[in-house]
This record gives sequence, structure tokens and C-alpha cells, in this order.
Amino acid sequence: MTEHTQNPLNHPEVQLANGRAYLVSFILSMLLTTAGLWLAITHITTPFGTVLVTSFLAGAVVVIQGYFILHMDISHAQIWHTVAMVLFLPLFVVTIGLTAWMFHGLYQRTMLMPPGASDMAQMSHPPHERTPS
Amino acid sequence: MRASAAQKVDPAHATLWARHYPGHDMIGTRTFGFWLYMLTDAMVYAALFASLGVLSHVVNLAGGPSPSAFINPVYAYGETITLFLSVLIYGYSMVALKNGNHSGVIGSMFAAMLLGMVYLVIAGIDIREMFAQGIIPEASGFLSIFFTIIIYHALHIIVGVVWMLVMMIQVAREGFSANVVYRLINLRLFWHFQAVIWVFVFTFVYLQGMVV
Repeated sequence: MTEHTQNPLNHPEVQLANGRAYLVSFILSMLLTTAGLWLAITHITTPFGTVLVTSFLAGAVVVIQGYFILHMDISHAQIWHTVAMVLFLPLFVVTIGLTAWMFHGLYQRTMLMPPGASDMAQMSHPPHERTPS
Repeated sequence: MRASAAQKVDPAHATLWARHYPGHDMIGTRTFGFWLYMLTDAMVYAALFASLGVLSHVVNLAGGPSPSAFINPVYAYGETITLFLSVLIYGYSMVALKNGNHSGVIGSMFAAMLLGMVYLVIAGIDIREMFAQGIIPEASGFLSIFFTIIIYHALHIIVGVVWMLVMMIQVAREGFSANVVYRLINLRLFWHFQAVIWVFVFTFVYLQGMVV
């Protein structure tokens, strides 16, 4: 830790730059996003299947970019960046997941669905009339 | 109580402080602080994507167009290519920094900045065409969050482009001083983070908007 006080270029966060890792990240990211775009354009899967697969592809690209270009690893220079990111993950899950879950229920109970909306079928039957599954 | 510990340490020779202070890691402290800031920015995006999930429900179209009717994937794909290329070339700028190469840093950063501008031009054409068709933020709840997300992301790209311009001037004037180096690392964190955010925008706003 002493040597980089002399020359800032010796700082570990400068030295971790890696051109080959950036190129790998670029190629893999382009391949996976192109695959997602192709799925969305050609409609070869069901809409739900396309949502599922493109979400999975996005997750894969984020992991690849996180490792290769944001250097999210457990090396001495980067461990606290990684720890901070991991501690934020539950916040993302809570913010997006709980909001979506709450409003999903809220819409079914409070909104007049336009004709043709898929939730109509469930809304027409009170819960006690449903057959147990 | 702590007899065992006291036996091991001879008070006459105990070292109570570091005699050779290794120096405050100014670069590491500031890049970590900036990374925490970027994560709070990610929380803003999380709130925006939560709103997108809520406002994507059919009741929020309010009689307006559904995203599958107006999204043009060609523009979104062009933005993907230019932004990912820009991030790659900014990475090469950081490799040049590692090698102490002034002209390499400035040249790569200039190319990355130009690609950022191309991104903004494509985004501008995309938004202008939608506005021309009457697809405007105030038309429905869904369109409000749609434009909020893509414009918020474009604002980040504008900040990144201006920041690159500033850093090219600073590298030319000051060389690789400690202050310039930590700012270059912060800009790397900022710019590379925009690519990660774009993956989510591209997937959840554009691709899944085309399907639903």
C-alpha cells in the first residue's frame, strides 16, 4: 500500500484494467442481447416464454459485465466494492419485488378491468366458489 | 481476566501504533465512496423499474397505445451497440492509463465520447419520432414511466459525455496526478455502470414491451 503513494498509476484499481476481459465482456454481451432481440422479434416462443428467457439473458449479461468490467470479485482491491453491491441486492429485491406483489393484489381488488383482461375470469368468482386445487 | 493475553505481550516491547504509517489511501477511499453513490443511483433505477412493473398493467394504458404498437427495436439495438462499444473503448483507455500512455488515454476517451454522442443522437431520433406520432408522456401512466426511464438513462449518458470531455482536458493539463487518476477511475465506474443499467432498460422496457 505504500508504493502507490509515490505513483498513482501503481494503485491496484489502476492496475486491474484488463483489455482482454473487456473484449470478452463486449462479445458475450452483444451475443446475448442479440439473442434476446431475435426472440422478441420472431415470436417463436410464447409471450411468457419470451419474457422468461429475455429476463434470464439479461441476468446473464449483468453477471458477465459485473465480473469482467465492474471487477466485482473478492480480490484485495475490490472486495469492499463487491460487499457493498451484495448488501444492496436485498434492497433491489424488496423495492421491485414487494411493489410488484402489492400492486398485483391491489389491482385485482380495486380496478375495473377492461374487457378481455385476463384477470376478469378470476374476479367473476368469489374465492369460496373456487374449486380447491 | 485477560491474563493469558497479558502474558503473551511484553509491555516493554509492545507495539501500540504503526511506526511506518502506510499513507491514507486517497484513491481507494474516493472510488469506494463514489461506488456507494452509484449504488444509490441504482436504487433510483430500482424505484423506476418498480414503477414500470406497476404501470405496465393494462389499466394504465388509459386507452393509449400499448408498447408493442410503437417500440422500434432498431433504435434500441443501435443504442445497445454504441453504448457497449463505448464502454469497451473506455476500458481500453483504462489499459492505456495502466501503461502510463497519455495519448492512449485521451484518444480512447475521445472515441468513447463520440460513441456516447452517437447513442444520444439515436435516442433523440427515437424519442422525436414517438413524439411526432402523438406518443407523449402525458398520454397515459404507462407512457409516463416509459419516457421517464429512457430519458433518465439518456441524462446519465449526457453527464458521462461531459465528464469525459472534462477529463480529457484534465489529463492534458495535469497528467496522471493522484486527483486525475481517481477521477478517471470514478468515471470508469460511472460509465461501465451505465452499460449494466442499459441491459435492464433494453430488456424490460424495449424487448418485453414488444412482447406484452
